[in-house]
Amino acid sequence: MAFLKLIFFGLVGLSVIYLSLSVYSASIRRERLEKQYDAEPVTGQNREAFVETGMAAYLASLRPKLLVLVYVVPVVIFMGIVYVINTN
Amino acid sequence: MRTLGFVFRLLPILAVGLLLHYVLPQHDIVRITSTEVIRTDFSTYNRIFYAQADSGGVDQPTRDLRLINTQKQKTFLLGFIKRDATEVMVYRNEDTGWIWPPYFKFDSSDLQAEAAAEARAEGWFSLTHYGWRIRWASIYPNAIAIKPVDGPNATIIPWVNIAFFIFLIFAIGMIRAMWFQFRERMVDPAMDAAGDRMDIVEARMDARRSKMRRWFDSWKPKDRR
Repeated sequence: MAFLKLIFFGLVGLSVIYLSLSVYSASIRRERLEKQYDAEPVTGQNREAFVETGMAAYLASLRPKLLVLVYVVPVVIFMGIVYVINTN
Repeated sequence: MRTLGFVFRLLPILAVGLLLHYVLPQHDIVRITSTEVIRTDFSTYNRIFYAQADSGGVDQPTRDLRLINTQKQKTFLLGFIKRDATEVMVYRNEDTGWIWPPYFKFDSSDLQAEAAAEARAEGWFSLTHYGWRIRWASIYPNAIAIKPVDGPNATIIPWVNIAFFIFLIFAIGMIRAMWFQFRERMVDPAMDAAGDRMDIVEARMDARRSKMRRWFDSWKPKDRR
């Protein structure tokens, strides 16, 4: 039962971290795109369209997918701890 | 007032510091003298300083507790400064189970057997443990693992703690950055919009008031307007 509790609360906790990190990362990228446009406006494209194409490129890139590591790394560490502690 | 604010800011830091001091692994250089099992009747105030029954078993109000008796090399400052003196130290040896503290230790029987085997020899060991020894409440630190070392002056590098504190600093920095980003992008624009609306309302009220003021003033003598 304790193991199920661990899985449930671990999943909830990691999901909170994952969601806030992905929102943060997207927000950083959006801000950078906006500043980039303000510094040198692209002719034939308004600010909103420029930012939206930039965000679409960001979502298709590797970076947001790397955030899945938020789930992978703690699980690997967890299995490592279980292994190291319980072997002699 | 300033002292009070300082104390209120110090208290959470102190609480977190104590929690980390309790939970993070520490290494003692010990010589194992014996192992034993005692029956333990927990009270409400020392219960939280013990783990639950062995993993897979059921928790009862009273149970047997494995202890490891040692002679420990004394140190100052969490083991950073070595001393040429020994004291006795008793460790409990309990499964931590799946939840807390996150050592995921299930091999306390094995550890007990290991300690019993080493008690016959005279070797020195680095004993990893967490927790405190509080005599007046019969609270023991929980032994996690033993590893042979060269002698009483062996140096242990606490890799787990180093990694943990690096991660902690990184996490605090990350949360700070996220909070500032959230404020800059979400809260400040909303507050600005609210502020603008307030300004408009205030300006409108000012205009209305001045209209009324002018009407009132029209009743006053000219020199008091």
